[in-house]
Amino acid sequence: MSEEYDVEFVEREDREARFLVRGVTPAFANGIRRAMVADVPTMAIDTVRFIENSSVMFDEQIALRLGLVPLTTPPEGEFVEDDTVTLSIDVEGPDTAYSGDLVSNDELVQPADENVPIIDLKDGQRLEAEADAVIERGKNHAKHQGGVGVGYRHLQRVEVVDDLPEFEEQESQIVRGVIEEDGELVSTTEFDHDLSKRYPGKEVRLEDVPNAFVFHVETDGSFTIEELVTRAADTIEARATELEDAVQL
Amino acid sequence: MMVPVRCFTCGNVVGEHWEEFDERSNEGDEDPEAVLDELGVDRYCCRRMLVSHTDLVDVVSPYQ
Ligand SMILES: [Zn+2]
Repeated sequence: MSEEYDVEFVEREDREARFLVRGVTPAFANGIRRAMVADVPTMAIDTVRFIENSSVMFDEQIALRLGLVPLTTPPEGEFVEDDTVTLSIDVEGPDTAYSGDLVSNDELVQPADENVPIIDLKDGQRLEAEADAVIERGKNHAKHQGGVGVGYRHLQRVEVVDDLPEFEEQESQIVRGVIEEDGELVSTTEFDHDLSKRYPGKEVRLEDVPNAFVFHVETDGSFTIEELVTRAADTIEARATELEDAVQL
Repeated sequence: MMVPVRCFTCGNVVGEHWEEFDERSNEGDEDPEAVLDELGVDRYCCRRMLVSHTDLVDVVSPYQ
């Protein structure tokens, strides 16, 4: 792609970020969002073979819980569809089986969260199982959804219209997201989402900045935010190329 | 029975926060709102997963 996009981070953590993208159409912004939710493949447990399960839950219930545990997903190209990684779990009661008890045969694929309780085992109960993790897309099953709570808003610009009449009481004006002030990005959390606190005694007007979107992205721990966003963009490119090839004469 | 691994609505992993939440606000006397804020469970869809959960393993295990 020849066009360049301007990306600026507002907040940035390992699993959560807020960033501004300029110069994209609303359709493309939504395309990115949808790709992050449904089209970025992640690893998750898909098949479980039970050797012993004397817990209070049925095999299929435990298999579902194991499937929902996020697993770290290896770098792009490392795994392709139909590749599997085997994880095993063996816990004897009285104890609680945690996601951290899963032992993987691949260093790249590990439980991303170690403290998820799988099943509480009482005296004499035991859970021993072997599971196969596969790489799949979020549109096939929610357990493969790497992006969580992905959304975007327009960047807003504040314009001071006038001073308020001297004795008029100012009403609160709520806005959420990020506003632009002389080129500076200000998160609305800084003034409790209330413009009347930021501009006391002023009449202000808000307007959307065209083609500027502030994304809020979280991941389930399968990969970092950067990985998620770049992989989402890559899946769009892959599908666009596929379409181009398909319609070529 | 056991706490759900992920939030039904958004898919965020909430299971890992259950034990701390239970200890501090169900067993302990901390304000659930403050505990959830501190755990980073921000959205109300995820918050209700923990607030409304009851562990039933102890209740059903005698009937195994
Ligand atoms: Zn949620």
